[in-house]
Amino acid sequence: MSLAVAQLSARRGSRQVLTDVSFTAHPGEILGVIGPNGAGKTTLFECVAGLLPYSGTVDNNLLFYVPDAIRPWPDQTVRWTLELTSRMFETTLDETLLHDLDLVALRHATVKSLSKGEAKRLDIAIGLVVPRTVLLLDEPFDGLDLRQTRQVTDLLRRDAANSRTLVLSIHQLSDAARACDRFLLLDHGRSVAEGTLDELTSGVGGLEEVFLALT
Amino acid sequence: MRLRDLVRKEIAELAASRAFWLLLLIVGLLTGQSFITAMNAYAEASGIGGGPAALAQGLSPLDGILTPTLGAYDLAITLLLPFVVIRLIASEKSSDALKLMLQWPASIERQIAAKVLALTAAWIVSLLPFFIALALWRGYGGHLHPAELLNLLAGYTLRFLLTAAIAMAAASLMSGAANAAIVVLAFTIGTWALDFIAAGRGGLLQTLASFTPTATLRGFERGLLRIDVVLVMLILSIFGFAIAANWLHLGRSIKARTAGTAVLSILATLAIGLVVMLVRFSFDISENRRNSFSVSDERALSTINDEFTITVFLSSEDPRMMDFENNVLLKLRRSMPDVTVIYPLAGRSGLFENDARYGTIEYRLGTKSTMSRSTTEEIVLDTIYDLAGIHAPAREGASYPGYPLAKKPTGAQWVFYLLWPVIVVVMWRSTRRSAGGPPAGPPPARRQP
Repeated sequence: MSLAVAQLSARRGSRQVLTDVSFTAHPGEILGVIGPNGAGKTTLFECVAGLLPYSGTVDNNLLFYVPDAIRPWPDQTVRWTLELTSRMFETTLDETLLHDLDLVALRHATVKSLSKGEAKRLDIAIGLVVPRTVLLLDEPFDGLDLRQTRQVTDLLRRDAANSRTLVLSIHQLSDAARACDRFLLLDHGRSVAEGTLDELTSGVGGLEEVFLALT
Repeated sequence: MRLRDLVRKEIAELAASRAFWLLLLIVGLLTGQSFITAMNAYAEASGIGGGPAALAQGLSPLDGILTPTLGAYDLAITLLLPFVVIRLIASEKSSDALKLMLQWPASIERQIAAKVLALTAAWIVSLLPFFIALALWRGYGGHLHPAELLNLLAGYTLRFLLTAAIAMAAASLMSGAANAAIVVLAFTIGTWALDFIAAGRGGLLQTLASFTPTATLRGFERGLLRIDVVLVMLILSIFGFAIAANWLHLGRSIKARTAGTAVLSILATLAIGLVVMLVRFSFDISENRRNSFSVSDERALSTINDEFTITVFLSSEDPRMMDFENNVLLKLRRSMPDVTVIYPLAGRSGLFENDARYGTIEYRLGTKSTMSRSTTEEIVLDTIYDLAGIHAPAREGASYPGYPLAKKPTGAQWVFYLLWPVIVVVMWRSTRRSAGGPPAGPPPARRQP
């Protein structure tokens, strides 16, 4: 199932943080939302997930969003957290996910004791446990080393291949270029470009040049 | 999603909370201290060691043992429970777990209901020291009146629910746990102030003050079950939980949440107003009928149909005022629900009153009136009968035998000061171990691509 967002606008207090953002993400595709700091990537995700008030339309109720850098239920263990999430969505925890994200040795560790990278892998696992057709991950590679970034990229690609729609907010353009099929470039709360890497970079150079030219 | 799963999750969160285990530890120590002190005082009043015994009818387990022992819970509910409740919400807000929970296929209202159920289970567990005290009391040969006991427990449970609701609402509204704790503390101090200021003043202020947590407990501790009090406490509790749910809807604008709060406030005010105006039922659960006139007096008073007004020329601090309020007016309001009481000197100290009427009480029944200075039950009743022109009924003697028990609480200190803390600490450590799980063994075989 695809995700269609149309004319989405949002304010934080008196400040307009998103203005008429529209995009579509298709099943089996990984859409990367890129943009400079303060462009509105996280706000966009929180609006789409219904965690912030907005105007406009979001055409998909079966989505799940994992915020960046969270440590949910810090006194509980990694396993407890993943089993809780599975139970809440009436599914069973696939043990292979613990392998794929190198969480096996950490399954009895408390969430508060995890390092930044370990907590990030737990956050990704939480998202992948949830049987929703659209998954939004905020900064899924932040805190991961190169090997882990590649492991997670492979994992996300396999997951998308099972008809899941993935929307990732990514700060590092190199990670975005490696992981995503298409891109939405946000700047000052507005959508300034959308397309595949080839479409965006034709005649310009690389993704970094596009980023610098448009933001 | 099953509510049971949500409740299990909340219980796991409570068990992981230091605040909860600390509450259990302290409540056991406080209950033990209260019980042992109460037992010693009761034994002395019962004539232990050859000392003079009080009149047996004056020795009631409700006053002498149950109320002082449960008094420890008043302290725990006021000062410790809010931290346990606030943590349940504030921790999920600060760790952003709330953002995940809001996406679960369970409404936030359902999740709040699960938190309330888990907290109620925790409340029952925290009552264990009280139940141990009851078992010891029975073991020493003490008497219990089940209805009094259940009424008292119902009062404390309502008090617990109300405090939990206020703490939950504060934790949802405020940005951090410390701010929420300050709001709850301010509310508690505010109700204490209202209780103090409104005593003996009559009117709306006194009506309001009769629903403060402290005042409501006083009724239950006297063996009185007031349906209006029960309903108001339940409405306020539901209001608090609803406010909490309303403010946890992060996807709603502040304006929408404020409007929701306004609607809930109006509904709660209307419901409370209706209860205060329409519900006058109360039941005297006490074994010695301390909240009621004798049956013959109640029957005689029920035959008086004229408009009845009492004007009390006493200041609110005057001990006679307290005596009159608790021993006469409380019973009279139960027997004659339409009696009007006026307090013209409310708010004055009484020490320097030059008013010649000070100290008098005026009774006006229809067109007839009379004055009296007595605050004694029998004399007040005779005054009313004279005014109504009816014969005072023959008063039957008190049937309450009283339950003296001249026994020291042998062994209780070991139970409360040693066994209970050890049990709590062992349980605490075992839940931490089970949360940590067994030491990591060799990982299961890796999936082949």
